[in-house]
Amino acid sequence: MICQHCGKNPATTRIKRIVNGQLSETAICSDCARKMGYGPLLGDWSLPLGSLLGGLMEEEAEPEIRCKGCGITFEEITRTGRVGCAQCYQTFGQRLSPMIQRIHGNTSHRGKSPAKAQLTLQPQTGMRVVPQKTSLLEEKEKQLRQAVEEQNFELAVVLRDEIKAMKEGKNHE
Amino acid sequence: MNEPLKWYEKNGPQGDVAVSVRVRLARNLQGYPFPGRLNDAGKKQVLEVIKEAVLGPNSLFAGVFAWVPVSSLSRTAAVSLVERHLVSPEFISRPQGRALLLSKDESIAVMINEEDHIRIQVLQEGLSLKEAWKTASRLDDALNERLSFAFDPRLGYLTQSPIDLGTGMRASLVLHLPAMEESGVIGRTASNLSKLGLSLQSAWGEGEEATGCLYQLSNRVTLGLSEEEALSNLETIAMQLLRQERGAREKLMQRLDTQDTVARSLGILQNARLLGQGECLKLLSNVRLGAACGFLKGVSLGTLNSLLVLTQPATLRLPSGQEELPGEEQELLRARLVRRMLANRVEMPEEI
Repeated sequence: MICQHCGKNPATTRIKRIVNGQLSETAICSDCARKMGYGPLLGDWSLPLGSLLGGLMEEEAEPEIRCKGCGITFEEITRTGRVGCAQCYQTFGQRLSPMIQRIHGNTSHRGKSPAKAQLTLQPQTGMRVVPQKTSLLEEKEKQLRQAVEEQNFELAVVLRDEIKAMKEGKNHE
Repeated sequence: MNEPLKWYEKNGPQGDVAVSVRVRLARNLQGYPFPGRLNDAGKKQVLEVIKEAVLGPNSLFAGVFAWVPVSSLSRTAAVSLVERHLVSPEFISRPQGRALLLSKDESIAVMINEEDHIRIQVLQEGLSLKEAWKTASRLDDALNERLSFAFDPRLGYLTQSPIDLGTGMRASLVLHLPAMEESGVIGRTASNLSKLGLSLQSAWGEGEEATGCLYQLSNRVTLGLSEEEALSNLETIAMQLLRQERGAREKLMQRLDTQDTVARSLGILQNARLLGQGECLKLLSNVRLGAACGFLKGVSLGTLNSLLVLTQPATLRLPSGQEELPGEEQELLRARLVRRMLANRVEMPEEI
């Protein structure tokens, strides 16, 4: 059987999918399987979790970059399936995100945040440490409500603009 | 006995099926590589920072937690911690640079330098998911007052394994499912649940036979769902499993052969001189079924829950102070413990 996707190579992989309760089956070649993201997932499930996770990440032959926080290379993360430190998520952010998406889907955190104002790294500003946006935003919104209550409208206008700017900045992310 | 009861010695809400819950939160300190990238000196530093935060001057926790360096434990004591579900097997496999914070009733166990710097675990009897989460979250807040955690607004709490990103929360329930196991629906149920982002797997014992019909149901999704959402998903599914199990039990307990098995199991447990681990677990499971259905009167589920924990090899020999016991002596000890704890007179209905 010839690959139903590229129509060139012999099909080696069958993809069964259930969409709206209907089973569909596609036979594709290993190249297409890899391109469509099925390749590594069909690997050996008896592998330890670490290397399985490693398999979810794409390997690239780029010059070696080491995380400034812990000195790890991306290759080491790929091999062990373990990230070296919090900063790695910044250093290797782009290369880690396909794997994170494959595990969790295209989504972002909706749970609890640390109560204390946190310092986190901003991707746009590189390694600069800036206050965490959400808590700052919440704090400003609180100040705004208070300012309105106290009828301190001059302050409220300033805060409103700051909040607007922060929210817009956030949407660009 | 003035010691407070341990969590596993009690019977909780929905205790006929739900044995216990555990809520785990993964947290990492800012400014330190994750444990996998720390050398011994680095791990020691992390230990010191956390110890200072939890047990240092003016700490509210000073009287609450015992500080247990894993390297200070005997092999038996360490394995017993695993048997009591307080730590992971991985945690005791490399003791260096690791410590456990343990509350007196053993319902709070914080692993330090396991996969992540901090793994808060709260264990409770029965189906008390929300309560366990509240306790874990309060402890998280209290620790956060003194420690800064690695967090990213989009990825949530940053963890060594990307699998735990987001809430870092894993909640699990131990369920006793003898009737569902008997009717052979566990495998199918487990594969259906995996599509919902939950996992159902054998929770107890080793090998395929010695499971005591105990299963662990846990959430797998940590990113994109809030803790409350994940917990209520888990609870909804758990309640469905509970209903299914109860329905199946009702039919099962009406059968004479089941009643016979339950009654015989109790007879063996109350009289045996030697009891192997696998046999004991199986018999306890049978008796638990009978007691939970009201067929056996006079056996408390709390007693059975504690026997499930206390009859495991390392926990069993821990009071003797022996690192190793010959097989027969171990079985003798187990039979003695079971006889003593099940000595009450048990009533059951006449057969019809």
